[in-house]
Parts: sequence; structure tokens; C-alpha cells
Amino acid sequence: MKRTTRAFAVAAALALAVTACNANDKSATPGGGGTAAAEQGGTFHILTTSKELSLDPAKSQSLGISAIHLVLRGLTSWKTSPDKAAEIVPDLATDTGQVSADGKTWTYKLKPGLKYADGSPIVAADIKYGVERSFAPELSGGLGYHKSLLVGGDKYAGPYKGGELASIETPDDSTVVFKLNKPFGDWPWIVSMPAFAPVPKKADTDPAHYGEKPAASGPYQVKSYSPGSKLELERNPSWDKASDPARTGLPDAVVYDMGLQADVINQRLIADAGDDKFAATTGTSVPAALIPTVTGNPAVKARVATSPSGALEYLAMNNKRPALSNPAVRKAIEYAVDKQAVQVAEGGPEFGGEIATTLITPGMDGYTKYDLYQAPPNGDPEKAKQLLAAAGVSNLSLVLAADNAPTGLSVAQAIQQGLKKAGITVTIKPYDSDALTEVQTGPKGDYDLTVSSWLPDFPSAIGNIQPLFASSEIGNGGYNMSRYSNPAVDAAINAATGESDRAKAATAWGAIDQQIMKDAPLVPLIYARNAFLHGSKVQNFYLPPYPPYPNTLIVGLSK
Amino acid sequence: MPDLVWFVIRRLLATVLVMLALSLAVYLIFYALPADPARLGCGKPCTPDRLEQARHFMQLDQSTMQQYLQFLKGIVAGRTFGEGAAAVQCNAPCFGYSFPLARPVTTLILSRLPITASIAIGAAVLWLIAGVSLGLGAALRRGRLFDRFAVGFALVGVASPSFLVGLLAILVFGFWLNMVPVNGYVPLTDSPVDWAWHLVLPWVVLAALNAASYIRLTRAQMLEELNLDHITTARAKGAGEGRVVLLHGLRGVLVPIVTIFGLDLGGLLGGAILTEKVFSMQGLGELLISSVGQLDVAVVVGVTLFSAFLVILANLVVDVLHGVLDPRVGHA
Repeated sequence: MKRTTRAFAVAAALALAVTACNANDKSATPGGGGTAAAEQGGTFHILTTSKELSLDPAKSQSLGISAIHLVLRGLTSWKTSPDKAAEIVPDLATDTGQVSADGKTWTYKLKPGLKYADGSPIVAADIKYGVERSFAPELSGGLGYHKSLLVGGDKYAGPYKGGELASIETPDDSTVVFKLNKPFGDWPWIVSMPAFAPVPKKADTDPAHYGEKPAASGPYQVKSYSPGSKLELERNPSWDKASDPARTGLPDAVVYDMGLQADVINQRLIADAGDDKFAATTGTSVPAALIPTVTGNPAVKARVATSPSGALEYLAMNNKRPALSNPAVRKAIEYAVDKQAVQVAEGGPEFGGEIATTLITPGMDGYTKYDLYQAPPNGDPEKAKQLLAAAGVSNLSLVLAADNAPTGLSVAQAIQQGLKKAGITVTIKPYDSDALTEVQTGPKGDYDLTVSSWLPDFPSAIGNIQPLFASSEIGNGGYNMSRYSNPAVDAAINAATGESDRAKAATAWGAIDQQIMKDAPLVPLIYARNAFLHGSKVQNFYLPPYPPYPNTLIVGLSK
Repeated sequence: MPDLVWFVIRRLLATVLVMLALSLAVYLIFYALPADPARLGCGKPCTPDRLEQARHFMQLDQSTMQQYLQFLKGIVAGRTFGEGAAAVQCNAPCFGYSFPLARPVTTLILSRLPITASIAIGAAVLWLIAGVSLGLGAALRRGRLFDRFAVGFALVGVASPSFLVGLLAILVFGFWLNMVPVNGYVPLTDSPVDWAWHLVLPWVVLAALNAASYIRLTRAQMLEELNLDHITTARAKGAGEGRVVLLHGLRGVLVPIVTIFGLDLGGLLGGAILTEKVFSMQGLGELLISSVGQLDVAVVVGVTLFSAFLVILANLVVDVLHGVLDPRVGHA
């Protein structure tokens, strides 16, 4: 799962995310850009703040639509559309996986005739080896959901000194079998992650630098890499478009212009001059300060892609603190918070996001619109006062741990002002973003309230719920910042996790969403949007509800 | 000059001691912070087991003192993180390894130094010439319009923050007049013309701001100098005014100028933080700032030490030059 912060430098360094033009932008005018057809050819430029881009599948935390997947294919892949969450499609495998009756064994068959850029065949053992090397401590840092699910994964230390991982079997060159220690219905999403890209053992001669020129299975391969300035991708002659339902491979080349300031990226894309017409950002959102510039110019506005939904931004209430252990007090705060003021601080409805009342975000399977604590957008302080009086609580005084970045402080102040109307005193305690994470996820839990936001790493409601509310995620680096613990909810989470029928799982997660909100562990604030600029010749650039990033795998250029 | 040699050797030994103390201080400060650099290398989800594994790999599971000793040992013998085929090597002299940037710190510093050096040296040459000539002019035309102008310019320059002037310059010369590129760095070896063209704006901005103190210093020093006995003597011996000013007067002025020039340049070579930030140049200053944000201790220690080394080196050069410029200064 991904904890989103406004610290884009770090986020962008970790995620080779994508850029896109907005098919959802209701205000996009025809002819304003984004209407010409994408054609074969051209060089697509991605402008990024990152100084280091590693294409090592073991170390990558990239989502399924990110540029690493232009070079690396997985067993499965993501297919996006503008109005609903990404779907899973077979990629190197012939289907999204066959599961055994007990839900613990998943079998994949590779498509015939798959080749790397050098013409050698892609075989099942390469998938196995790729997953194995992600366990090596030397190559840690990537998405590792599989590490605790595969049998023996908790003790395995990678192929360099730990031999093979027996729970991945390759009975022949085209079959991979995964043995899990518990049923996990979302396994088809797990095998879309970077670590499931094939790595031929003979190409892994210098593991620490494998990511600079990995064996390419996707439409592109690395042409050159100069850290800090540029990563160039060129066509992979062995890629067979017919075998790939997720990638269009339209541009002839993809170039990362690295190490740019966020302001510079936005200014260049607004100016839309020269090569920047064929450029986009996949990780640098339009900041609040630039919103007037963008909205004031229809031609520029047409080149901003915004996501219909996104990360859930929320106010966590530390359930372990005496003042907040009483659910009646937490419910009073549910009513008191001025969500509209938060929305304004985040850039307003159009760029900041819609007001949130649920835990599962719109677009995800399992999302149902509901509101257990109905109040006007700016809160209902009177109702909150009544609830506090009924609970016999007066002079409530709380400490809010906040991010000391400008937006973080504005949001904290919006909450402080809102709660003041209900007679609740909030003291804001600002932290640097890294220190804040440490406070929020560390063992001490020295705060009453804190604001954070959360985006799952794959579009399943498990990603909305489990990391934020399971008892196992409290104070050990996990993200249960409300420190909410309910054995009934834990049991329900475990049951829904094992469900491999997607419709049944969605219903189960939807029910858990409401079950949790009845205990009011946190206040949903907004479904935070992303907004990314792109050049006038960049096509197929839009932000789905999930992931709220453009799908680089389908971007094309017009002449 | 055995005196001078001993002087340099003594100073270099002192430099090593200062650097040791400084590196220890940076280590202690960083490990007092309530944040864990291993978290960035832990992966998602970051389970306690995996975090412990990442700490062990990055050698962060040792005590602060042990880590510091490892750092010192690495300078002499190099370091290896992890084991087996996937281990990360940092060859001697290893001043630490940056996990977020996946490079040894020495490699990072050497890759960024040309950028910072290009900015610093170009700007320094400009402000030295501009500062000394304007200051000289002001001293010789004391009280007249030129003097007023030069002193006024100096006042504005000293009072202006570089980020503001930088941004204004970008706005005016980059966006409005579209005369020069607004950001980016082109290596000298790629194209000397593009290199200079991209650097013109930062040079001029830095020079305009730094020249200010040189104008004031040169002017004040020159006025003082012209009242000294040896100038009177020179004039009495019938030397021309040009010879008096340039040969006898300027020589006295140069001692304080060289002092602050050495220190300014040494300091700037360690990273022109604001200028690099404003002009999107990935120099040492930018490396330092982004590493602080990413809790990349190895790079912070490395860049801090390197910057300190440059300042100390500049001091040493200044002291040696003093002896050359002014024989009255001994090195014993």
C-alpha cells in the first residue's frame, strides 16, 4: 500500500509513475488539446524530479501503470479506463491465474514464443528467479506483499546465499506454481508487481547494478542511463504486440528528463514549447499556487489531467488515548470537522478532491456511497456539542501532529478552526515529514490527532482497509494511525482476504467499511485528486479513479 | 622555504583533526533525529522483520560509535554492505555509501563538483574584477557621482537575498526577455558555448551580490592606503599617480581582498545552495539539501566534510599567499 505524502521528491523517487491528459476533465474543450489521435512514432519525454531511477524489479515500488513496466512485463498487468478502477489482465501468463480449491496454490502458464530483447526465450525459471532475488536484503526496498504470503518466505534470504525458494515450482519451462501459507484472493494483483518480472539468472552477474540495464521483456529496452540527468528507452525488437493486452508501444522512444525542480516541470509544461509538446509529468502534481494560472487559460487547462478519485485523506483519532478511547467523543468529532475548509486548503473541489465519508474510495470494487455522520460540508458543531455533553465531556483539549509543509499546516489549521466551534481546543504540533511518519507509525503514539492520506498499491478494497485498521499494523511501522483494534473487524478482514471470488470479496469489504465507521476510528476528509500537466501532442493521457496516475503504457503522441 | 613547508604540514595535520571532530559531530547530530533511514530501504509493506533486515544490511543496527568507526575504517580499507554476489561494494577511500542514490559518496561528490565549480569560479572571477575595479574607481573619485553610485550599488547588493535576485533575473531575462536559458546545466565538455550560456545568469546574479562587499572593502582599504607613509614617499620620489595607485596602493589592498576572496570561493565551492536551487542545477549544495530531506546520512557527512575541507584549504592558501604579498607576515 502506498502512503501518500505531499513530499513529491521522495514519492517520485520511489515510484516511476506516469503522466496523462485528462479524458475525465469535464471542462476540457474540444480543440484545446488531447483530441488528435495518437500515432506510431515520436519520442515521449517524461519530466521528473527524481535523480535516480532504478529499473531493478526487486527494488521497485512502482504501480502497474508506471514506466518500469514499459521495459518489464509481469505475469499479469493492469488495464485502465477513465471512469473505473484498473482491471487485471493476463500479461506473460495466459490467464490471471488458476487457484486450487483451498485457495493456497496458484498456477500460471506462460504464453508461447515470448522472448527477451536479445532473442533468448522467457522461461518459467526466470519468473521464479526474479521473485527469489527480491528476498535478498541487498535488493530490498520494493513492493513485497508476496514475501509474507509465500510458504517459507519469512525465513528466506534470497538466491545468492539461501538457495531456492521451494514454494515456487516450475514443473516445466512454461508453468509457474506458487504455494501460499494462507488463501489470498488478490494474488492475481500481486503477480503484476515488479518483482514478478522475469530475470534470467545468467543476466544477473552484477545484482547491485542490474537495474541500470535489465533484461527487457516489454516494448522498450534501456538505451542509456546517466544518473541525475537522463534515462533513454528505445524499442525492444523482440516484443510481440499481439501477446500484450496492456501496452500499446506507440512512441519510438521514451526519455526521462531527470532531476528537475517541480516548479520548472510545471512551468515548462504550461509553456508547451519545442520538445515539451511531447512531454508530460507522471508524478508532479499541479501545486495550489499554480491553479489560478492553469484555470485562467483554457488551452492550459485542457492539458491538465485530474483524477476522479485518489488517496483517502483522513484525520486519525488515536483510540488508545484516554480522551479519545470513548467512541462517543470520536463520533462528536466526526460531526464537528469542517471538511469543506480542508477541501479548500487542498485546492478546492476541482483540484483538491471531493469530500469523503467512506473508507473505500470511489472507483474501487466494494465502494458504496454512505454517510454515517451526516452533517453540512462545513461540519455540525452544535450536534458535536450535544454529543459531548451527553457523554459528560467538557473542555476537551487535543494535540494534532501535523506535517509542517504549507499544505499540511493549512489542513491542520482548518481542522483546528472547525473543532474550536464545537468547543474542542486543538494544539498543532508540526513535524518534518519523515519525523511525522516516525511519530505516527512508531510504538509511542504520542498524539491525539494526526492527518495522513493513503493510496493502496493495487485496486482492491483490502488495500483501503487492512493497513489502516488491522490490529497487527499498530505501532510497529504499520499505518494503523488511529491505533484502532477490534477483534471482530480483524476476523472479518481475515475472512475477506481469503475470498478469491471478486464479487463476494467486494461485498465483504464494503460491509467491513461500514462496520469500522460505526466505531468512528478516523474522520474521512477528502478523496484527494491528482492533477498532472502534459504537452499538447501527448495523447491517451488520463487519470483513472485508481490509480490516480496516468497510464504510461498506453500514452502515444500526435504529429 | 623550510618555514613554509613546516607551516603547511602543521596546518594539514590540524585539518585532519578538525575534519575528524566535524564528522563525529555530524554523525551524533543525525543519529539524535527521531527518524530511521532504514525505513526507506525496507520495502512495502515494511514489516518489523524486514526493517531489521534492512538495518542490518545498511549497518545501521550497530551503535553510533561503531558506525562512526566503520566510516573511518572505510576511508582506509573500503566497505562491503551485505554478503555474497549481491553485496554492495564501496572501494577505498570510501567516505560512505548512499543507498537512496545507489552510489558511493565520493562518486556523487565528484559528479556534482564540476557543476558547483563552474558556478563558483565563473562568478568569483566576475565579482573579483567588478568589485575591485569599482571599489578602486570609487576610492579615486571619492565623494563624486561614481563613488555614490558604487557605494549605493554595494549597499543594495549586500542587502539583497540571492534567491530573490535570482528569481527576478529568471523572470526578467528568462521569461520576459527570453534572452538566456532559465535552468539546467550543460557540461563544459559537451559544448563550451552552451555551458557558458546556461551559466551566465547565475554568474551575474552571484557576482552582483558578492561584488558588493569587495567594492566597499577595496574602497575603504585604498583610501586608508593612500594616506600611508610609503605612498607619500613614493609620490615624493616623483612616481606617477598610476604607478602609485596600482603598484604601491593596490598591493596593500590585495591582502584583505585575497583573504575574503579565498574564504568566499572556498565556501561557495562547497555548494552554492540557493543559487543551485533557484537555477535547477544539480551541484553539491543541491545534493546536500536533498540528502538531508532523505535522511541520507552518508551523503550529508560526505558533503559537509568536503565543504569543510575546501574552506580549510582556502584558509591555508590565503595564509600562504599573505606571505607572498606581504613579506612582513611570517609563517613560523
